[in-house]
Amino acid sequence: MREERTKERPLASPGNERRAVVELAGITKRFGDFTAVEDLNLNIYEGEFFSLLGPSGCGKTTTLRMIAGFEEPTEGTITIAGQTVQGMPPYHRPVNTVFQSYAVFPHLNVFDNVAFGLRRAGVKGEELRRRVTEACDMVQLSGLEKRKPAKLSGGQQQRVALARALVNRPKVLLLDEPLGALDRKLREGMQIELKNLQETVGITFIYVTHDQEEALTMSDRIAVMNEGRVQQVADPATLYELPRSRFVADFIGLMNMLSGTVESVSGRQVTLRAAGGKRVEAIIHEDAGMRPGAEVHVAVRPEKMRFGDEGDNVYAARVRQVIYMGVSTQYMVELEGGEKMMLYQQNASGVAGYRAGDRISVAWDAANSLVLES
Amino acid sequence: MSIKSSSISRSLGRVPDRALFALVGLLYLFLYAPIAVLMFFSFNSAKSTEFWGGFSTRWYSALLMDQDILHAFYRSLIVGVVSTIIATAIGTLAALALARYRFRGKSFYDSTIYADTVMPEIVVGISLLAFFVAVHVPLGLTTIIIAHVAFNIPFVTIVVRSRVVGLDRSLEEAAQDLGAGPISTFLRVTLPLIFPAVIAGALLAFTLSFDDFVITFFVAGVGSNTLPLEIYSMVKLGVSPVVNALSTVIIIAVMVVVFVGSRIFMRKERA
Repeated sequence: MREERTKERPLASPGNERRAVVELAGITKRFGDFTAVEDLNLNIYEGEFFSLLGPSGCGKTTTLRMIAGFEEPTEGTITIAGQTVQGMPPYHRPVNTVFQSYAVFPHLNVFDNVAFGLRRAGVKGEELRRRVTEACDMVQLSGLEKRKPAKLSGGQQQRVALARALVNRPKVLLLDEPLGALDRKLREGMQIELKNLQETVGITFIYVTHDQEEALTMSDRIAVMNEGRVQQVADPATLYELPRSRFVADFIGLMNMLSGTVESVSGRQVTLRAAGGKRVEAIIHEDAGMRPGAEVHVAVRPEKMRFGDEGDNVYAARVRQVIYMGVSTQYMVELEGGEKMMLYQQNASGVAGYRAGDRISVAWDAANSLVLES
Repeated sequence: MSIKSSSISRSLGRVPDRALFALVGLLYLFLYAPIAVLMFFSFNSAKSTEFWGGFSTRWYSALLMDQDILHAFYRSLIVGVVSTIIATAIGTLAALALARYRFRGKSFYDSTIYADTVMPEIVVGISLLAFFVAVHVPLGLTTIIIAHVAFNIPFVTIVVRSRVVGLDRSLEEAAQDLGAGPISTFLRVTLPLIFPAVIAGALLAFTLSFDDFVITFFVAGVGSNTLPLEIYSMVKLGVSPVVNALSTVIIIAVMVVVFVGSRIFMRKERA
């Protein structure tokens, strides 16, 4: 299981016993001349916490709305739990949504909000009461059943929206930036709570967010989207360590980029000549074919760099800026060729700090410098 | 900026409180003195509106005996209730359509639906009369109701539309997402949320219908006088104190409705 997650493998490969609960095949959505989503192919598995991550306007919310049934794809088919849902209205789909604005019914109290879906499904009497109470307990709303939404805080309304969707035991729960309106502290608490909740109920979550930290914290797998296209689908660690494109590298976390020309390739090891004549030892993706002479980028995470001269790549540099951030200190250094790079250093005991203007050398290993095609 | 605003408040502070009170008093006098005079003379035992002949409720008894007035009142009530119900239903649906959907001819419909609200009543009245005569509809209660529905629809539409525009669309999507079909979504979510505006539109429609004179004058046939027409025909022969009594009853009824209505609304908003 663990291995399966850390390795990116072809979706729905034979022998993969996990069943796809949502299959998006060749989905394109156009609004007039504007293409919101283009040729999207995704399989989302049972019990998975799956995130659609990307900047605003990347098509993630449109994708979610197509699964929910609020939009119909222009091309392609959506299958939910083995059933093609083309033309099926939202009220017949086995999915429920938590909306960005919560969309809690203001004229109904908490109980009636949560009971809304069950009542539509014909659940009555004791069973209705029991299931609503259970759902309220699950999201810690017990005792507030008689309250009107206007008397609830944002976080509590959020929980009502969650309980209202989960109580129907959907095959898939769709969440559209549900934590976007909460303040930071509350949001971080809710992230952990949501993740725990998802593991408890075992329902597949499809989570839309533009916040990469949020996606990394909660997801089993993440699809990074940009301009209507999926850039990469992978688990958080792979996405962070082995981004496939410059976009993903830039979007997730902070990344130092150097540009250069490939000199020699040997297996996954690559030697490059960077601007200013520096040699850079780096690695490429297993399956990436790379020829000498190719113009490429090298990506290095700030926390993989260190001060000193131990490493495959060592350069003289000068400290330009120092930002103290509590747990760590962020340094901006300038290499001799003028390239600016970020570097994090833990503020552990015994670590000497530097000041702006100090002449130092920085180093990192070939294994931590990933070549990305331009 | 702050200097300016403080100098304004200082100059406002220089206006003596007494002067402000006097101004407000004058305003109220201007608005309510005629009504007070009318109410006062409805209890006058004399027939005159110039001399006080002592307290009496004889005009109220006369009002209750006056079959013409009672019939006219009854007709106004029928016209008001029926035309309000029809106009509110159509106006609400029109508001939803205009606020929600794009359809062919929308901009034309959008710009023409409100024409009735700015058209001089006399023009509307004459055109309706010409229309009914042209299509051979006999004038009577039916034509009055049709006319009132016609001029009330835009008012209801305006009031309800503003509420629909302010409604969070995702509330209806949430209802659908939770398994409610279109009708169920409308009845359980949309309608309850726009209901205050629907009621406000209906009250406005009823008020406009109940006191309409000009349009009704043209489309009412013989023997279908509504209350305003009846009062007008009475006043033509000199102001009868019965009219004062009738007006007093209407004023009190309106005040009770407004008071109770606002209390109910305030409680609902607070809940």
